[in-house]
Amino acid sequence: MAGGNEINLNEAKMVVPLNTWILISNFKVAYNLLRRPDGTFNRHLAEFLDRKVPANTTPVDGVFSFDVIVDRATSLLSRIYRPAPADEAQPGGIMELERPLSTEVVPVIIFFHGGSFAHSSSNSAIYDTLCRRLVNMCNAVVVSVNYRRAPENRYPCAYEDGWAALKWVNSRQWLQSGKDSKVHIYLAGDSSGGNIVHHVALKAVESDIQVKGNILLNAMFGGKERTESEKRLDGKYFVTIQDRDWYWRAFLPEGTDRDHPACNPFGPSGKSLKGVKFPKSLVVVAGLDLVQDWQLAYVEGLKKAGQDVKLIYLEQATIGFYLLPNNNHFYTVMEEIKHFVNSNC
Amino acid sequence: MGPYDYGISAGSSSSSSSSCAGGKPTELDGLLAGAGYKVRSSDLHQVAQRLEKLETFMVNAPTEISQLASEAVHYNPSDLASWVDSMLSEINQPFPVSSSDLSDFSDFHYMDDLVTPPLQHEVLTDAWADQSAQQQQPQPPLQQQQLTVVAAIEEDSGIKLVHLLLTCAESIQRGDLALAGTLLEKMRALLSRVNTGCGIGKVAGYFIDALSRRLFSPQAVCAGSVLENEILYHHFYEACPYLKFAHFTANQAILEAFDGHDCVHVVDFNLMHGLQWPALIQALALRPGGPPLLRLTGIGPPSPDGRDSLREIGLKLAELARSVNVRFAFRGVAASRLDDVKPWMLQVGPREAVAINSIMQLHKLLGPDPNRGSPIDSVLGWVRSLNPKIITVVEQEANHNQPEFLDRFTEALYYYSTMFDSLESCTLQPEKAVAEMYIQREICNVVSCEGSARVERHEPLAKWRARLGGAGFRPLHLGSNAFKQASMLLTLFSAEGYCVEENQGCLTLGWHSRPLIAASAWQAVPLPDTNSLPTINDCVL
Repeated sequence: MAGGNEINLNEAKMVVPLNTWILISNFKVAYNLLRRPDGTFNRHLAEFLDRKVPANTTPVDGVFSFDVIVDRATSLLSRIYRPAPADEAQPGGIMELERPLSTEVVPVIIFFHGGSFAHSSSNSAIYDTLCRRLVNMCNAVVVSVNYRRAPENRYPCAYEDGWAALKWVNSRQWLQSGKDSKVHIYLAGDSSGGNIVHHVALKAVESDIQVKGNILLNAMFGGKERTESEKRLDGKYFVTIQDRDWYWRAFLPEGTDRDHPACNPFGPSGKSLKGVKFPKSLVVVAGLDLVQDWQLAYVEGLKKAGQDVKLIYLEQATIGFYLLPNNNHFYTVMEEIKHFVNSNC
Repeated sequence: MGPYDYGISAGSSSSSSSSCAGGKPTELDGLLAGAGYKVRSSDLHQVAQRLEKLETFMVNAPTEISQLASEAVHYNPSDLASWVDSMLSEINQPFPVSSSDLSDFSDFHYMDDLVTPPLQHEVLTDAWADQSAQQQQPQPPLQQQQLTVVAAIEEDSGIKLVHLLLTCAESIQRGDLALAGTLLEKMRALLSRVNTGCGIGKVAGYFIDALSRRLFSPQAVCAGSVLENEILYHHFYEACPYLKFAHFTANQAILEAFDGHDCVHVVDFNLMHGLQWPALIQALALRPGGPPLLRLTGIGPPSPDGRDSLREIGLKLAELARSVNVRFAFRGVAASRLDDVKPWMLQVGPREAVAINSIMQLHKLLGPDPNRGSPIDSVLGWVRSLNPKIITVVEQEANHNQPEFLDRFTEALYYYSTMFDSLESCTLQPEKAVAEMYIQREICNVVSCEGSARVERHEPLAKWRARLGGAGFRPLHLGSNAFKQASMLLTLFSAEGYCVEENQGCLTLGWHSRPLIAASAWQAVPLPDTNSLPTINDCVL
């Protein structure tokens, strides 16, 4: 049951800066308009309201970007973000977009934006900005994947697009670096993007593509059961159980429930990762995120299977804390990510 | 760091100012600007309050939400404060659903397959021009950044070609013509090894030709005859959705602006075959309350062979109008340049609602003209003096008018690569092949011409906003209804890969997330003293 008709909006206002509150509340209100009770989605209004920014080969704050076609057949685009070169040796400052990286190791972070599988794109302003910050703070190249979204494209489309992007990145010579001339790949994502990270990494296990690490920010997991955190936090900090349910119904195959392994990878229909050569994981959980019990269960599942996982639990953080650099959590997490992708273990 | 520490924007938006506690009240919150929302720091509390009100309402009356979602028209989401306010007022007093729209006219085929509703009224149309003497009724805006996007180059040869093209352009800019010539030879050799089917390879040949022209025959004219131009234009219209989008979006805005008016007058800055107008005529025919008297003034170049092609188009349109019982009058104004047109030639009546329609014409006025002062200023000046109800402007979303040749060249290379890429999805022949020639003409003009010969001086939305704002116009925002219809039509009639985007009240159409064409609407900011507006009757012929 949704958290009653009395949403205590003041609680959320206490814990986030005012502009963050406005940003996330704006999404909450707008997204309410987009989800129809019959499970369909007002895609036109969604695209109209989404603030988008074009790619820009002129460096801004030391980062430039350009879009690439990963798969023409599915119109799968990705946006690549690179640090601007220090030297201006090229004629007239021509930006050589696919200039090879360096002999030093440069991490390549494949990023999957959030939006609960239904919202946002790689050219959404909030994610364009986040990816640029990642480049600067982690000295990395970021590849933001414009995966197909629900409900028009259900499971497993997003995972397939993620896999296609992983293969593409791995096969770009110009993304290689380091003495071993390999592409040093990390997967990162927030919300639904975090969920995609897990499933793409899982797919990669059966291949010869090496993923060096997974970064999950407020990853979207769930299950049939109603956990304690869901009941306690329902409607308190921008998110309701009801909307979570809607998005799972929109993404999962029709006729399935939230114990589907896409949603609940270590649940009753899930599989243990014991003995599997799975990448190390950095899992960030916000203490005011109502699905944290599922995220913590995910961490437990990895630990039980003997996998390398580091949990960052941010007690007073809400969803979307990483969208604006106006809080301690943002900087804490950026430091952790930087360390995660630059330590060569 | 306190709970309300706003921080500094570290994002891609170069336009907004940063916001610290104690900053000026008109400053935007830098972090929200980076997220695409323009909110003044001083307004944050108020916006939050109103958002809260909206949220509370939504929680308490969930069934109202669907109405808000499906019926309300949304405008300019970047202006968050206005958006929230419009939703709140929507709740208190729902807006009437937009009465007329073009969504029934999904058929873009010119003149063929037109559905003519059987009506029994008398025909009042006078096919050939003459204005009725009617009394005129006088009547009523920011920033962004540069953009270049590139499609992936899969082959090494492709990369080399781009590098050579840019190096060649740079050497031309530096004046090293010998080097440029050598590079041209190299490029022609390389061209045979590149996949010319798509991406850079496809368009490289045209750029090599254009550079060649610039180097060796700069006096050669890029333009064809009037007739040739019309044929190329028509094929470009058929092969890809850019012009259809332009017409459709402009018509939608014009239709809304004409709501409630009985006498309306459209001035088309470039009539061509009048492809834009059948849809508007039909929509006006079907509008609740009946159609207005429609006058159309079509401007176009003089026909070389003594034909009056403007009149011929006018006659065809008049026939169509007659068949759907819309009172219609047409006037053709022959002019080789827009700044040759004088407002009295348009014979605007005093009580008419006027729409000025410019599809890719304004940029041609940006060139230098030693004899005439500023063509763009003079045209915008007389447009304003007509006090139009609406001005619809569609322009290429590109920065092809920068002072440095290399910058223009680089921008054009990426712009036209993207456009060619989109054309690949077209299967119609010979439309596709001829459309390529149309684009090739533009490339030729941007790259090999200079001075008054260079007419393709495209500028991006941000620049047009500044220009039009400075000339006394303010934006009329294109809303979610126009957006939706444009998107739907794209889905029906074009390949996947095209995208409509909302940009601060304007709509753009692009390919693979690179906007290529931008549509906007404007009206004159009311003058403080309306009595001082010159009336047409004052002008002496």
